[in-house]
Amino acid sequence: MQGTAAVPASWLRHAGLRRPKPLSLIALAVALLIVMPLAYVVGNALLAPGQVWVQLWQGRVLELLFNTLRLAAGVAVVTLVCGVGLAWLVVRYDFPARRPWTWLLAAPLGIPPYIMAYVYTELFAYWGPLRPLVQRLLGSDAQLPALYDSFPGAVLVLGLATYPYVYLLSRAAFMRTNVAYEEAARLSGAGRRRAWLRVVLPMQRPAVAAGLFLVCLYVMADFGAVSILRYSTFTRAVYVQMTGRYDLMGAAALSLMLVLLSFAFFAAERHFRRRSRFFQTTAGYRPSGRTGLAGWRAILACGACAAVFGLAFGVPVAYLGVEAVSHVSQGALDAAFWGYARNSFLGAAAAATVAVACALPLAYVALRRPSRGHGLLLHAAYAGYVLPGPIIALGLIFCTAHLMTPVYGTVAVVVLAYMVRFFPQCLQAGEAALHQITPALEEAGRSAGAPLWRVLWRVTLPLMRPGLITGWVLVFVNAMKELPATLLLRPVGFDTLAVRIWIETSEEFYAQAAPAALLLILVTLPLLALALSYGSERRSTA
Amino acid sequence: MNPVLSLQAVGKAFESGVPVLQDVSLNVAPGATVCLLGPSGCGKTTLLRLVAGFEEPDAGSIQLGGRQVSRPGHVVAPEKRQIGMVFQDYALFPHLTVAQNVQFGLFRRSAAQRRRRLADLLQLIGLEDMAARYPHELSGGQQQRVALARALAPGPQLLLLDEPFSNLDVNLRRQLRQEMQEVLRRTDMTTILVTHDQEEALSLADTLAILDQGHVVQVDTPEAIVQRPCSRFVAEFLALGHFLAGEIRDNCIATEMGSVRLAPGMTAVPEGHRRVDLLIPPECLSLCDNGRGARVQVVHVAFQGTRKLYTVRLPSGARLQGLCAHDAPLQTGAHVNVRYDPTVVIAFPSES
Repeated sequence: MQGTAAVPASWLRHAGLRRPKPLSLIALAVALLIVMPLAYVVGNALLAPGQVWVQLWQGRVLELLFNTLRLAAGVAVVTLVCGVGLAWLVVRYDFPARRPWTWLLAAPLGIPPYIMAYVYTELFAYWGPLRPLVQRLLGSDAQLPALYDSFPGAVLVLGLATYPYVYLLSRAAFMRTNVAYEEAARLSGAGRRRAWLRVVLPMQRPAVAAGLFLVCLYVMADFGAVSILRYSTFTRAVYVQMTGRYDLMGAAALSLMLVLLSFAFFAAERHFRRRSRFFQTTAGYRPSGRTGLAGWRAILACGACAAVFGLAFGVPVAYLGVEAVSHVSQGALDAAFWGYARNSFLGAAAAATVAVACALPLAYVALRRPSRGHGLLLHAAYAGYVLPGPIIALGLIFCTAHLMTPVYGTVAVVVLAYMVRFFPQCLQAGEAALHQITPALEEAGRSAGAPLWRVLWRVTLPLMRPGLITGWVLVFVNAMKELPATLLLRPVGFDTLAVRIWIETSEEFYAQAAPAALLLILVTLPLLALALSYGSERRSTA
Repeated sequence: MNPVLSLQAVGKAFESGVPVLQDVSLNVAPGATVCLLGPSGCGKTTLLRLVAGFEEPDAGSIQLGGRQVSRPGHVVAPEKRQIGMVFQDYALFPHLTVAQNVQFGLFRRSAAQRRRRLADLLQLIGLEDMAARYPHELSGGQQQRVALARALAPGPQLLLLDEPFSNLDVNLRRQLRQEMQEVLRRTDMTTILVTHDQEEALSLADTLAILDQGHVVQVDTPEAIVQRPCSRFVAEFLALGHFLAGEIRDNCIATEMGSVRLAPGMTAVPEGHRRVDLLIPPECLSLCDNGRGARVQVVHVAFQGTRKLYTVRLPSGARLQGLCAHDAPLQTGAHVNVRYDPTVVIAFPSES
């Protein structure tokens, strides 16, 4: 008797559920909400009749797989060269305007890939401004390469849009590398080049690899840019399967394959990030000095920064600015336009607020009451990482139709999609913030006689504020830019700025695309800068 | 007098099943300063956290002020125990001022009471003009005093100190130790102090509890423990002296430095056990210049200001330490004669 009673009790204890506390139950509810769309997609894919799989296999699955991986690899190479190279340049060398460049080079983060794709297809189009220019230079039969349907075009656009991820991660890694390692290598007889190759570079590998995996995940999840460039990847195929063929089962099967692929990349990214932790703490840290550059070397360094920044930020923003001015003077900023802006803003703000509120209890129980059960909830809540927008939309269509019929086809579903998709970034910010607050602070509050809720309110939350603001901003910015889930889930009449850009580019009617894109960039850029500076402040005080 | 705190057969294991504390019983009398002393990993911090209510015991029970507060399956919340605690790194709230930190636990009192209590405490710790500062604007010693004031503010029945001096440099440590002793004496506070620093323990405690691998091995006054350590571990941990191997023959203990007569109370060796180790404190080893004693070689001499601590090697290779006057002519490598005072040595069962 005793034995049988003891087994479930210990099992429950391991699951952290021996005495389910309110916070644990809230965390469980949040995790379930996050996982539900994924569960529905996987469930439907597994229940799909064999015929669906046969059709997909005979169709283009292998081609899609090849296209997707090829694009990810190509973009990885571009971001590796641009991101790591520029990061090394600004950390280890000194040249004119080095400080402004360190920030400017991260600015393309504020331009969604689909806006980048839209600008560059316009520039390279038959009617675009580049053709006369090229013809004047190279003769009248010179032709511009088409960006449509081309692998180099997609690599270029996505590479320019995503290199800042690798740049920022590498830069942070280079900056926290203790120069003592390099000096030790030099003292034991290694030359400058050998010290760099054998000591400095291997130490950056985890951070660089983490950045590259992040870029690959991003590329695989991208919908807008590849669609505008008409380059077929898994994510785009899921969307086409849903909207063009109305085949939800087929879309679910395709999604399952994409989820598995993304999950592999996600697991690899986590693995490398865990390894990179080894390098972070060394007593007696000293940063490396900078080598001054002068003359043609300085010009070359500035030129490299200017070229990448110009292509990734200057050109798109200048083009959008010129276009926007001409359209605005023709009255593009009408009531409808401000309506789209309001929809974008409110939807994103609602999603960010809900995400922060949901991330708090989850991060708290996972860090402060560690148990297998709570760890599982935390991992589950990172599901958004492997869920591109169309798949979340698909999952939410399935589960709102089954479970949550009252919200089916309302704005609430759109907000929920944003929340699920970008929850990991918010959770990560919350986790990091809580991680830096020693539990002794909370224990000190408790032993001073204050109950848990009061300690949380007076001590934990105020100290987490920078992290929570970062989390809120990240969700808000990404939700503002989100395209595919909004397209698939929005109720009639709920157009956002992103949706308007999409509609107008696909209908080749551009009156409001440029002002909308410019507004989107102008709103998200300062917020991103805020989130990034909060992040680096936290690191430096830690 | 009824003890303020009473632990009965308390046990605690890690989630992996490795025991941290086993069968720990301890009583703390009102006004006493009990010091838990042991090497790192002996479970002393866990014991403190069990008393504070941050951990739940797997066995036994804890009574506080005559009320049961902990047993397996039932733990009174930390905020309902009236226990003050000073944490190892102080855990001052970085976003609150000194005044707000000290007043943190007074939120149920009226504003006037809070103000009065704050003024009293700041005066007690001598930081009256620091009320508006933030923790990062204070020195390490000032932070520690604020942490003490915060712990004392709600008027706890028991104060817990978790290695409160470990973050300070040696000189500051001595000074703050005296200050804290003064504060504890004036407030007549019952206190449990956790430390691995024996000097700290010996100077602050009126009761010392030595912990080893989850067990309380000896509880007594510091003087009694230094004079009569109950085991070789206690003697070694308190660095009371070196050991000399010996063998019990009839009524004597034979060693390579000659025999000593077995006296009552000299040994904690069980009946029938023959091989023993004699604890030789440095104070009881002396140089003899009349040619008697054992011939040994000096291997190390450390000048300690008013005296010299010397280390000698016996023919068997065993080492002993002794103290002598600072002007004694003693050279490393020289051969000298030494003897020990047989009335202060203690024998322990040999471990080899």
